[in-house]
Amino acid sequence: MSSPRLEFVLEALDIEKSYGATSVLSKARLRVAQGEIHALLGGNGAGKSTFIRIVSGSLRRDSGVITVEGREHYDASAIAVVFQELALLPELSVEENIHLPHRRDAFGLIDSRAMKALAAEALATIDPPLVRSLGRPVSSLDLHQRQLVEIARALSSGAKLILLDEPTANLTFADAERLFAILRRLTARGISVLLVSHRMSEIRAIADVCTILRDGRSVVDRRALADISDEEIVQAMMGEGQEKTLSAAPQAKAMPAGFSLDLAKGDIAVSLPAGSILGLAGAPEGPAGVMDALIGAESSSAWSIALDGQPRRFRSPADAVRSGVGYVSGDRAEKGILATLPILDNLAAAGRIARKQWLVTSQEVREAASALRRLSIKASSLDALPQTLSGGTQQKLLIARWLDLAPKILVLEEPTRGVDIATKRDIYQIIRAVAAAGTIVVWWSTEFSELAEICDHVITFDLQGEVSGRLDGAEISEVAMARATGMAA
Amino acid sequence: MAGSSEISQVGGEPGSLGVSRSGILRRLGSTYRSELALAVAILLVAGVVSFWSPQVFSYGNISNVAQATAPLVIMSLGVLLVIITSGIDLSVGSTFSLSGMVAGLVMLAGASWPIGCLAGLVVGLAVGAINGALVTFVGLAPFVVTLITYAVGASLAFVITDGHSIALLDPSFYLLNSGSLVPGVTNYVLFCLVGTIAIELGLRKLVLGRWVYAVGSNDKASRLLGIPVTGVRLGVYVIAGLLAAFSSMLSLSYISNAEATSGANMMLQAIAACVIGGASLFGGTGSAVGAALGAIMISVIQNGVNLIGINSFWQGSVTGLVILVAVLIDRLTKIRA
Repeated sequence: MSSPRLEFVLEALDIEKSYGATSVLSKARLRVAQGEIHALLGGNGAGKSTFIRIVSGSLRRDSGVITVEGREHYDASAIAVVFQELALLPELSVEENIHLPHRRDAFGLIDSRAMKALAAEALATIDPPLVRSLGRPVSSLDLHQRQLVEIARALSSGAKLILLDEPTANLTFADAERLFAILRRLTARGISVLLVSHRMSEIRAIADVCTILRDGRSVVDRRALADISDEEIVQAMMGEGQEKTLSAAPQAKAMPAGFSLDLAKGDIAVSLPAGSILGLAGAPEGPAGVMDALIGAESSSAWSIALDGQPRRFRSPADAVRSGVGYVSGDRAEKGILATLPILDNLAAAGRIARKQWLVTSQEVREAASALRRLSIKASSLDALPQTLSGGTQQKLLIARWLDLAPKILVLEEPTRGVDIATKRDIYQIIRAVAAAGTIVVWWSTEFSELAEICDHVITFDLQGEVSGRLDGAEISEVAMARATGMAA
Repeated sequence: MAGSSEISQVGGEPGSLGVSRSGILRRLGSTYRSELALAVAILLVAGVVSFWSPQVFSYGNISNVAQATAPLVIMSLGVLLVIITSGIDLSVGSTFSLSGMVAGLVMLAGASWPIGCLAGLVVGLAVGAINGALVTFVGLAPFVVTLITYAVGASLAFVITDGHSIALLDPSFYLLNSGSLVPGVTNYVLFCLVGTIAIELGLRKLVLGRWVYAVGSNDKASRLLGIPVTGVRLGVYVIAGLLAAFSSMLSLSYISNAEATSGANMMLQAIAACVIGGASLFGGTGSAVGAALGAIMISVIQNGVNLIGINSFWQGSVTGLVILVAVLIDRLTKIRA
């Protein structure tokens, strides 16, 4: 190997992978230098997840070359992945998790003293206070701390490159900041980081270099982020002149105008007329209280609701749905998609409840087909399973559930989490169309920029989850939200 | 095998949104692809057996197999519903035995057979309700709950007659199984057909049926959609109990002798039938037609082992092998799709 190549920790060249006749990766290329934070970008379905799985060794490639520090035969532990769904064993202690599989001494027994020392060392470089939690079960840690345990595991196994897939998707703003600081510290020690994220602002804030995948090819191969504009990135992800976004705003079913929603807790009260969009900004606990009350998930919520001036308390989700409240979660796998049911059922599920239907009707088949067309969702058939769609498209499917029902209120819980830029734009258009038809939209997002772009009102919550204020119209800005939520920008 | 390639072509047809009326046969073909394959496999097994024993296709043998399969088909339909909700019912075999014994006792006391059957069905209802209540309201795992009712039911079946079997007295009881409510169709065949079609249509065309799948697919999402998850869960255990009891009545009517161990092997067979028929124990999938065919497959294998003259101790091994093959085929086709 020639000497200039050695600066790369990871080189993956001409990687190809196909499933049957479908090519997922063709000529994918990724080169990560030592001590850099490298962003891997691409739309939903561009092949990022497949690429990551190949690079990390959990999936076989069809062809192509992967070298680590210039060597084709490398120790698999040199590349460590921290997935969105963390791969820890919750009932084991932090220390044991860091050392899975257990380190054994000369007699084949677990060498707990050596384990403890090594785990402590790994954690100390990441987050010294966490060393005190070594003996605690992982289930007692919060999400951010669990991520750190995973990173510690990667370090102690000698990782040169740590791969993070959407690491901030479920983190509070403050924890995300802390994570970034830790990543920077790691790069100073010569560790490289490969980051997969859809959040432009955070990519800008932390990454040095980017590689962009489209349709399984690296359309941008190692460009410094300083040399590439947001517009160029979007162009590269979407392709020239091939605007994937919805051409026209999807028509939502118009609903009788002139109803209102009042939300109140303590001395904070918001009155929303039909068609308004309310943003919820801040640490998850606060917005969760509002949303739980609206969707009937938690009947003891401190928030009181009035529809058309009439106080209401939803006893169950069924009660809320029948009263005209729709709900879309960003946590598709856990709280949204019915994975083993065809697309038709996923679309019709809410309507069947809201209309108290007894039979599967041909009308819902027509409605479902038309919903797919309006949202330009390309499905092979209504009988296909949702997993045949990309993640972003599944998310549109979850929103499409409600469109023909003209819900009075649509509650959105981070609907753009893990969704590519083109699909995000689609979702914004859908939200606007739904509101234009008269639905009141209540929307929690951790991305202040999207709230600022779309909302009429915003309720802000501080880090303890308490209401910290309210912004209306022109007052709404990223800076104002950052200030009011204690997540200083 | 030529047929299967044709079917797969239909399944892969792009842009079919399932609204065209002309393609209804092709649509049925693609919807029931794996069931068709299973039916072909049953014929294949019978065909292999016929090399040793040509009478496998004789009228007498076919009606014997059908008669022996009927109770298992009925029981499997109930177990299927539970499995689709990602639950499991280990108690159906005990319910079969216990409800048979109770019906026998009631008839022994002089009651007519409809009253006796009613008593048997009440037992099934009660066991199902207990299962459902413990799973939903108490929140215990279905495996544990039905393991308990399995053990208790099996022991009660002995307790109530001190282990003695009961020869049935009502001479017209045979009518339940062997009469013909519809002229030309023996009742046990009728019950199997009506039961399978009713459950299949219910699962496909009733919103309630779609909820059974939804609950098994993702119960959190189902709850947030407003689906009455608790009611659905409770309901499937009750139906499973009732169908187990009914299948016992059918078998009793044929054998006219109630025994405490009558249902001992049936629970595993019923679960196996569902799995062979394409249901996943993780929930969310499965069909009534598949479960019924699965039950038939199990009976055909047993029959084949007998006809060929292999020691009947091998039955379980052969059945196990068939389950393995069915599951592997299912997995392979899913990966390709």
